[in-house]
Amino acid sequence: MTVRAVADSSVGRVDGMKTLAKSEFETLIDGLIDDDPRSVVGPQRRSGQYVFEELDSAADLALEYDLTALSPKKYLLPQYEQLLTYERTDGEYEMHAGTDTEGVIIVGVHPYDLAAIEHLDKVHIDTMGDEPYRKRREDSLLIGLTMQSVAPESFAASMGAATTDSGYDLLVTDIGDRFVVDIGSFEGNELLADLDTHSASHSEVQEVRRIEDDLRGRFERELQFPPEELPTLLAEHYDDMEFWESYAEQCLSCGSCNMVCPTCYCFQVETVRDLGGDSGYQQRSWDGCLLEEFASVAQGENFREEVAQRHRHRFMRKGLYVYERYGDVSCVGCGRCTRHCVADVADPTDVYNDLWEATNA
Amino acid sequence: MPSEPTDAEPNWVHYEPEEATLVAKTTFNEIDTVFEFELEDRDELGHVPGQFVQVFVPGVGEAPFSVSSSPTKDGPFELCIRKVGSVTTAIHEMEVGDTLGIRGPFGETCDIETFKGNDMLFVAGGIGLAPLRSMINFILYHRDWFRDVTVVYGCKDPTEILFPEEIERWQERDDIRFDITVDEVPEGVEWDDHVGVITTLLPGLKIDAPNTYTIVCGPPVMFQYVQEELDAKEIPHDHIYLSLERRMHCGVGLCGHCQINDLYVCQDGPVFNYEVIKDRPEALS
Amino acid sequence: MTERPRVAFFDFTGCEGDQLQVVNLEERLFDLVEVVEVVSFREAMSEHSDDYEIAFIEGSVVTAHDEERLAGIRENADVVVALGSCAAFGGINAIRNDQDFETVTERVYGDDADMIEANPEARPIESVVEVDATIPGCPIDREEFVQVVTGLIRGVEPTLPNHPVCVECKLEENECAFHRDEICLGPVTRGGCGADCVGEGTHCWGCRGMVDTPSEDAYTAVLEEHGLDAEEIVEQYQLYWGWQRPERATQEEAQ
Repeated sequence: MTVRAVADSSVGRVDGMKTLAKSEFETLIDGLIDDDPRSVVGPQRRSGQYVFEELDSAADLALEYDLTALSPKKYLLPQYEQLLTYERTDGEYEMHAGTDTEGVIIVGVHPYDLAAIEHLDKVHIDTMGDEPYRKRREDSLLIGLTMQSVAPESFAASMGAATTDSGYDLLVTDIGDRFVVDIGSFEGNELLADLDTHSASHSEVQEVRRIEDDLRGRFERELQFPPEELPTLLAEHYDDMEFWESYAEQCLSCGSCNMVCPTCYCFQVETVRDLGGDSGYQQRSWDGCLLEEFASVAQGENFREEVAQRHRHRFMRKGLYVYERYGDVSCVGCGRCTRHCVADVADPTDVYNDLWEATNA
Repeated sequence: MPSEPTDAEPNWVHYEPEEATLVAKTTFNEIDTVFEFELEDRDELGHVPGQFVQVFVPGVGEAPFSVSSSPTKDGPFELCIRKVGSVTTAIHEMEVGDTLGIRGPFGETCDIETFKGNDMLFVAGGIGLAPLRSMINFILYHRDWFRDVTVVYGCKDPTEILFPEEIERWQERDDIRFDITVDEVPEGVEWDDHVGVITTLLPGLKIDAPNTYTIVCGPPVMFQYVQEELDAKEIPHDHIYLSLERRMHCGVGLCGHCQINDLYVCQDGPVFNYEVIKDRPEALS
Repeated sequence: MTERPRVAFFDFTGCEGDQLQVVNLEERLFDLVEVVEVVSFREAMSEHSDDYEIAFIEGSVVTAHDEERLAGIRENADVVVALGSCAAFGGINAIRNDQDFETVTERVYGDDADMIEANPEARPIESVVEVDATIPGCPIDREEFVQVVTGLIRGVEPTLPNHPVCVECKLEENECAFHRDEICLGPVTRGGCGADCVGEGTHCWGCRGMVDTPSEDAYTAVLEEHGLDAEEIVEQYQLYWGWQRPERATQEEAQ
């Protein structure tokens, strides 16, 4: 359901897998940290959770992670971003759009997050032309990682995003004492140029496939039906307010599910004024449709005033609206919303399975 | 090591406002004024009737406004703005010669040319006349394309009437019917025309329903009542268009604020066919 | 508003920590006095004038004298800004609102308790005068203060963030206090603070007041889930919301 077009391949996919020693992989990452002008970021352990953060050393990589707090989306669509600066000189305002669009090397991205980025690419590059996103994305490298741990909240396998064969420059799989690397782009291939690698043997490739097959069976949560049925299911239950209200009663309407979602991209724009002069900037920052004022307009009218309406909108958007517009179900099954929902009402498998049971009971 | 990034530098067209200078303003009342803006770098805004622009006032913020002048008018374009918040207040305080930023035009609207050979009915409530004026003037410019043209306009009271001089000119023409009503007449205000809500004007109209196209703009609460009257006239739903208002932050289909179910007001609207919108519960309430 | 408005700071019952935050703007104070003329600010200067356009008021209202003084300031000022949580919604002073007043004064002042002439309740300034803008927080956020001041000068209608602290915790990737088995008021507290407290390893105490429409039932259920009984739950609310919460309940009932 999620995009499967090759995202970053001006040259086309380079077939074949390579094998390298784990120490060689560390050499690659440390080399990038030292020599590449871009930031190199990867999953690290920080106070009780995993987060993507800038790497000082390959040794800091926590490749055993199950789920990071935020997805690497934050490097392509930052939480806060300056879109436009203005300044008044001699009574005239000068306005300049522009923002920091530097690319990033992101190491250790799980397949569900790669799928999420492929979806964001489709929206921001292929369709809507969001230039800050495009520039950062095109200047970034994605080094994927086959999951080693599965978060108890995740259901990526149900969404077809537990494994992937696209959306990365390199995809690394730990097969015990060494890594097998799938090359996804010309740039990815170039990364390996100076390293001691050899073509993966038949048994090594088989081992990767075995790990992937095994992985798909390790998820505790699942959708009880193929995600292809989601759009129809949701459309059928739009008017079932009793259902949506039963969830909304427990919903804090806090927006956490929106904030941690790797495919949410709604934002707000506000003015930040400098003190002492006629200058400042327009800032865009992440916004969420669960928040009370998201759909309110100037005259005070709120088109989704009830929590139930906002709660419903989130699920409709993930499974129906975005599908109708872009052909993707925009949930990759990462499980972040479930993990971060204090009230425990955000789990998509709960909501979608309940709906499915209501229809198919 | 990887090759240096060679990709094109960002094109800021979506997010960089163009400088526009206020060249004239006409005040109708304490809260409604029409502003004429000239773009710094081009002669025409290049909009079609029904589209909107994002207006950026440095230090204050940005807000969307429908263009109220017709593209058939040369030179500056016009925005009729009601003072209701920070951005609108800041615009109201501008003096001729001051500048601000404009992005756009944005949005989908109806293709007026496809209405050729039919009757046109416009229903405007309050500030809703502002976007409809663009279409009305477009149609009057191409008057011979259409059969009967009727405008029904309702305001809270006579002091809130927009474009009073233009309305007078329209009323003097014999190729357009312009009916006006006010909800109430405050003490001390002179008014010798119709009094009553806008829907009281509709039953009296003679309408050739299958050959009439209707465009409605007004406060959300008005739509439902107007629609009842249009249904009584049996105007086909796909002949009815509505101009809707939402709080767009981006104008380019990304920020999500203007979403009505699966539709984006900034991309799929702001002018929608009623047939499309009537099954979207978030559209009108 | 004039080009460089005259502003005055006033303190009522509070710790003056919000004015201290203004002083803590440090070198940016020079920028501040470029855009406003400070005519009264006890914490930073000795001069005083009653000719001002913007009045920043810190502290809550606890005496009849406070009420009178506040009304006088309202007369003088074009714009009244509530500075900090005590002024904005009663704040920490309102902790005593549901306690027996005599007991409270005796506990605090001992034998001198009968010398205290105060109202039994600590109230926000909006209970006495009309308030044009609010900068909540204990203490206030300096950047928010800057935005309100520059906004007032630019004619921008003051707005308050209406998202809960959770939003900012997520953006900052703070570990959720609930995940650490702590009780946190973040889900129903007005954001805009950058979730600093949670980021520093503690939890949200509710210092910016409640969001406009807190999901109180859902939140109570969360607290019960974490083992709190009804009394303990109210205790959580009582630190900052002793005025605000009962007031909200009354308003809701009236609707």
